[in-house]
Parts: sequence; structure tokens; C-alpha cells
Amino acid sequence: MKKVININFQGSVVPIEESSYELLQQYIESLRVYFANEEGKDEIINDIESRISELFQEKLKSGSTCITDEDVNVIFQNMGRPEDFEEAEVGEKTMSEGAGTYTDTGSARFSLKGKRLYRDENHKILGGVCSGIAAYLGIDPVIVRVLFIISGIGFLAYILLWIFVPGSNVLVNGARKRLYRNPDAKIIGGVCSGMGSYFNVNPWIPRAFFLIPFISFFFRWGHFGPLTFPNFLSFSFSPGTLIIYIILWLVIPEALTTSEKLEMKGEKVDLNSIKNSVVQEMEGVRERVTKMSQDAGSRAREKSGDMGREVKYAAKKTTGAIGNIIVTLFKIFAYFILGCIALALIVALFSLAIVSIGLFPLKDFVLNDGWQSVLAWGTLIFFIGVPVVGIITFIIRRIARIKSHNRVIRYSFLGLWFLGIICFVSLLISTAGDFRRTSSANEQMIRLDSPQVASLEVNSLDYNRYNRNNSWFRLEPFATFDDDTAYIGNVRLRVEKAVADSFQVGVMKMCNGKTRRYADTLASLINYNVFQRDSFLMIDRAIAINTTDKFRNQNVMVVVYVPVGKHIKINKNLRNSRNIRVEGPWHDDNWYDWDDDNYYFQYGVEYIMQEDGLYTLSGIRAGDYEKYQNDWQSEQDERRNNNHRNSNDDSYRYDQQTEVDSLRIIKEKEMEEIQKSVDSLKSVKEKQIMKMRDSLRQAKEKLEQKLEKLNDNAISEQASYRKGIPENSFIMHI
Amino acid sequence: MNIDNTASQMRKGVLEFCILSIIKLGEAYPSDIIDKMKSANLHILEGTLYPLLTRLKNAEFLTYRWVESNSGPPRKYFSLTEKGATFYSELESTWLELANAVEAITSKQ
Repeated sequence: MKKVININFQGSVVPIEESSYELLQQYIESLRVYFANEEGKDEIINDIESRISELFQEKLKSGSTCITDEDVNVIFQNMGRPEDFEEAEVGEKTMSEGAGTYTDTGSARFSLKGKRLYRDENHKILGGVCSGIAAYLGIDPVIVRVLFIISGIGFLAYILLWIFVPGSNVLVNGARKRLYRNPDAKIIGGVCSGMGSYFNVNPWIPRAFFLIPFISFFFRWGHFGPLTFPNFLSFSFSPGTLIIYIILWLVIPEALTTSEKLEMKGEKVDLNSIKNSVVQEMEGVRERVTKMSQDAGSRAREKSGDMGREVKYAAKKTTGAIGNIIVTLFKIFAYFILGCIALALIVALFSLAIVSIGLFPLKDFVLNDGWQSVLAWGTLIFFIGVPVVGIITFIIRRIARIKSHNRVIRYSFLGLWFLGIICFVSLLISTAGDFRRTSSANEQMIRLDSPQVASLEVNSLDYNRYNRNNSWFRLEPFATFDDDTAYIGNVRLRVEKAVADSFQVGVMKMCNGKTRRYADTLASLINYNVFQRDSFLMIDRAIAINTTDKFRNQNVMVVVYVPVGKHIKINKNLRNSRNIRVEGPWHDDNWYDWDDDNYYFQYGVEYIMQEDGLYTLSGIRAGDYEKYQNDWQSEQDERRNNNHRNSNDDSYRYDQQTEVDSLRIIKEKEMEEIQKSVDSLKSVKEKQIMKMRDSLRQAKEKLEQKLEKLNDNAISEQASYRKGIPENSFIMHI
Repeated sequence: MNIDNTASQMRKGVLEFCILSIIKLGEAYPSDIIDKMKSANLHILEGTLYPLLTRLKNAEFLTYRWVESNSGPPRKYFSLTEKGATFYSELESTWLELANAVEAITSKQ
């Protein structure tokens, strides 16, 4: 009992047994391969096909109900199979070469083709790479094998050679193999069994390659029991194999028909030399390219036709040639913008994927086990993984011109991605909930061993522990992290004036949490070390948290209370870590940009606490921004001042800017004088200074009021004075 | 050395000449050519004939026209072009020379 199908063959309907149809297809395919390097390939095939069709019709007219295997085989006999053609060709080769080296079997294939490197499939253990190399070098394969096993890199090299070195068995038998998924021996998608057939090995070998690293992923990135994988392995595999598997699954076609299955196994000789297969492959590429260019051409013509029509329509409406141009330009512009947006989206997606993979090890420190963890996985796989795989698949399919007539795949992709969005959003909501409440602030005083020291230097504890920056990916405030400990650089240092006459140090631990009580408990659990050693105050650079006490924005503020007249110094090693911040009485604006801190406070410099704040030993007030400006800056200022003076001397300039600037100069001078007097008198006449300061402040206020008035006046007068002002000097002061 | 190969090689060399001489007699359909050669005891596979014809056609020695057929698709009938005719006469003279030479050499032994 055989299934009969109707085929449309060369314009006529032919009832044919399914198996015969397979044979026919296979025969024509083999001809196609054989004639691949022939000039009029398509014409030849077409002629042969129409001849076969004619023979079919004759057969049907003579009374057969359908075409059978026997009929087909008789026809093939008459027409001749590629192997039959080949006989003559081989002879031709021998004649033309004029050499007597021809032998009928593959035993002397190396002498026939000269020495070339092949995989020896007849003496193989795994892929025949070693035996092939041995045959090439003329040594015992055991030696090569031992060398390969001893050198660890041999493994990767082996696989590469396996893929790129043609197998000699393939050469001799002329089997043309193609990579298919094997639906008969599949476990998941048949990818591994297909690869097994392709490389002619047990399907469990590719399976092992996919599985072992995947198992190892669960056993902590590249460690599997006593085994430790080399670095490149644990990097390239891990969950990557899953993605590779899925991509292969989507890209490799499934071997459905008999001929495809035969092709997969490389059985049934279609082709008598590997050269032809390469030629055919090249032919295929060429065809594809010409097709593509034709396609593009016709599409462009179509598009331009469409556009032309639209433009015509537009022209009718606007009755102007400019209209067409505008419409066309607008369209080009719109396409360009769309292309840019699409590209940006793809780039964003891929960078998001990279970032989230980098973030993933931090997951355990932030998220609770259970639902949140599941949601994180869901986000990674569905929200980020699915579109990445989808885009890669789409691009590969486009390049390979595989038509996807499978809507199910598309819709399931879309569905999975929506699932990913849901995961992502709910993860965000639930994580945000965990950070909702802040703990109450309570400061604990640290007992110092000798609070009476004359000076205290704040130093970093255990510098080396945090300094190794082994992570390729950094995320604030995570300084570094191990498998079970993360270090958060949420440490702030604050310098205050002490009420008493000895040093005091307070530590404030704060934290976020779902509830205030939870946040308080978590804050009390923060393990942070501060202690005094002689004249050093040792502090931790970062807060250590583990996976049970999650990251809930733990932060610590160390407050050093410095008595008046005593010295404080912050070691430079605290600046090197970007995670520690120093603040003090010099600025109280909490919102102030942290990055400017270094301008206001100098690390590694000794400061002295005065009644009204910190000063350096040379008398510069901490946080006095103007004083820290470098020479260039002050030079600039000077030049600017000179300009003002010049313009004032010339006295033809009375616009708003000059007024304002000159007033500012006066004010600055006054401030400097105050500063100087303060420096000279500070230890003795503090009260006077205070008085003076008060009076000066009043004066300043008066000046400011004046200035405002002048501003108003200037605006009204500006118009009348603008004439006669040289342009360059005007620009200079803007 | 393989006797089959040498023999098939010899056959192959004169194949084009034979095909051209058959077509020279008048328009010919490929299966007719096969039949005629078969009757002259020169066996050739149809599969090898088509590429030969296409090659000759591409070299502008042959041309063809479509003829409707009651059994199956339209047939290609091949005929000789002028260029093909001159090519044939050159081949013919070469063949005669060769045949004479071979005759002369082989008959001496």
C-alpha cells in the first residue's frame, strides 16, 4: 500500500507514489549538484525535467494509473545518474593529467590529490581530527592524540578542526551532508541528534556539550563538583548554551522528508566530490545574491512607481513641482528616522541585555527568595532574552532567506515577551515596596580609647579588601561583591565642632525597608567598624552585607566631633574610593552635588577646628571655594578686574554690566579685608570680629539693595547709553 | 590504465561530431538523436546529451524552436546554425584526417 500524490511537473499533473516522488526530487537535486559548475545549468535541468515529464505522460497514456518507483528507476537508468556521468569525467581527468597515479578506491587519495589535511573518518575515535593530522604528518595517531589530551587548549582547537577540516570519508563516498534537526531521535528539539548525524557521532556527544556547562551553571559559574572548567569554557557556556540551543533550534530546518533525512545522514550519494558541493554552495550564494538584487530592483521600481503615483496625485493637488519634491523629501526623511529608531531600539535592547547579565550576580543581595527571584528570572529570560533571540533569529533567517510561514512561533514570541513585561513590572513594584520606609535616625557614640589626643587622622580600615576591583561591571553603590558578601560604599563622613574638649565619634546607621520597624531592625544589623588606634581613627570603607540581610540602601554616617583648637586630617586613601564622602559645617546643603566635595575639602591636609569652623594650618577656611581656585583662575580674575578698571577709567561705559561688576569687586575686596583681619585677630579679639562681621553684613545688605536699585536704573537707562559703546567690550562682559 | 575509461574517452571525443552530423540532416529532437545513435550502436545516456546540446547551443552552433507535443510539454527541436555548419565542416576534415592517420598506423601493425 502506497500513498499517491499529484504533482505539477513541467506544467502537467502527474499522479505519483510518494516514495517515487522523493526519488525524483532526490535525482533532480543530485543533477543540480552535478551540473552546478555548468554554464547553462538551469536550462539543462529544465530539458531533462521536461523529457522526464514526457516519459511520465507516455507511461500514463499506456494505461498506468500512477508513476511507481520502478518507472522512475527505469527512467533514471536511461537518463543516467550523476555517478554514470562521472565515470567518463574521471577518465578525462586521468587523461588530461597524463599521470598514471589513478587508483579506483580512496586508499591512495592523498597521493591522488597531493597531500592535504583531511579528517580520517575511517580511523576515528571522536571526529578523526587526530588520525587525519597523523596521516598528514605520517606519524602514529596515538602520538597526536596524547599531545591533544595533554594540552588543554587542544579541546577548542579540536572542535574547530573538526568543523573546518573536511572529512576524508565524505570525500571518498561523496556524501553530501546538510545540517538538519532530527525529529526521529529528538529529546527537545532534535538539534543535538541532528548535529550527531552531521558529525557522524553519537548524539549524546553534542548533548553533553550542551548539558555539562548548563549543569555547571547551577553549581556556581564554572565549578562542577571537583571539576573546574577553564575560564573560556565557563565564560562561553553557562546559560549561553541554552540561548545557542534555542537559536539553533529556530535556524536549523527539520528533516521532514525522506530525502532530507538522507541528506542529514549523508547517505545516498548525490555528489561525487566535495569540490562540487563547495561549488554548488557558491552557486547558491550567487543565485541568492542575484535574486536579492533582482528583488531589490523590482521592489525599488515598485516603490518608486508607488511614490511616483502618489507624487503625481500630490502634484495634481498642489499643481506645483515643489510639492513633489517636498513630499519625496519628507518620505525619505521619514524612512530615515524610522530606520534610526529601529536601530536605536535594537542597540538599547542589546545593551540592556548586557547590563542585566552584569547585574544578575547582584540579584541575591537585593531580591528575596521565592517570588521576586522567579520574577527576576522571568524578566531576564522573557523580557530581555526572548527579543534578543528573536532578533538574532530574524536576522539569520533573513540572511539565509528562510521563509517563516510559521505564525505560531511569532505569536508565541510575542506572548512570551508580554509575560516578560509583566514579570518586569511586577518585579519593579515589589522591589520598590521593599524600599518604601526609612529607618529612624539614631546616633550611637563610639567609645574612644584616648579622646584627648591633639590631632586625629581618619584612616581606611583594611584598604586592600575593597580595593581589588575584580568586577568588569560596576554599579553604584556596590563597591565589590563576592559570592556571599557585597560591599556597599554608602559611607559618609562628617566633621563637626565638639561641645566638649575631647574628640567624639558618632555613628548613624540608616536603612530602608518594607516597614519602619523592619528598616530599624535591619539598620541595627549593619556591621560597621570604627575604632581609635593612637592618633588614628580607623573606619570601614564600605558596609558588608550578605544574602540574608538584603540590600535595602543601608548607609552609615560617621560624625567626628572635633574640639576647638585640635587638628583633624582625612587620609588620602579615603578619597581614592569613590564611595566615601566627607562633609562638614562648611556646607549643609544635603542636595548638593557630591562630585564637588573634593573642591571643598582637601584630603591628606591637616585642618584645625576654630570657633567658627575648620581652617587649614595656613588659614584657609574649609569649603572656601574661591581660595582653592588655581593660579590660572585667579589670573583670569585679575585680568577681568583690570578690564573693569579700564572701562571705569575711560568712563564711557555705564551700562548695567559694569555697574554690577564694579560693585562685586568692591564687595570682594571688602570680604578679603575682613578675612585678613579675622586671621590676624582671631585668637584675641573674637567678639570684635563678630561685631565687625555683623556690621559688615549690614553693609553688604545695603550694598545689595543699592545694587538692585542700580540694576533697575540700568535697565531703563541701557537703551540710551548703548550708542557709542564699542562692541567688543560689550561682549567681553556678557 | 582502465580499458573502460579509455574507451569511453574515445567515444566522448567523437560524440559532438556525431550529434552535429545527425542534426545536420534536419531538425532533431534529443530522444531522436539518442535513438539514431543507439541504432548505430553508439550508446549514450540522455543525461549526458542535454548538457552537450546546451553547450553547443550556447556556443551558437545550434539553435532550437519549440514544437507543441501531444504527449507532455512542448519539445525543443534543434537545428544547425551557419556558424555550426562551418564548425561541423572543420570537425569533419579533422575527423577524416584523424581516421586516415589511425587507419594508416593501425593497418601497418
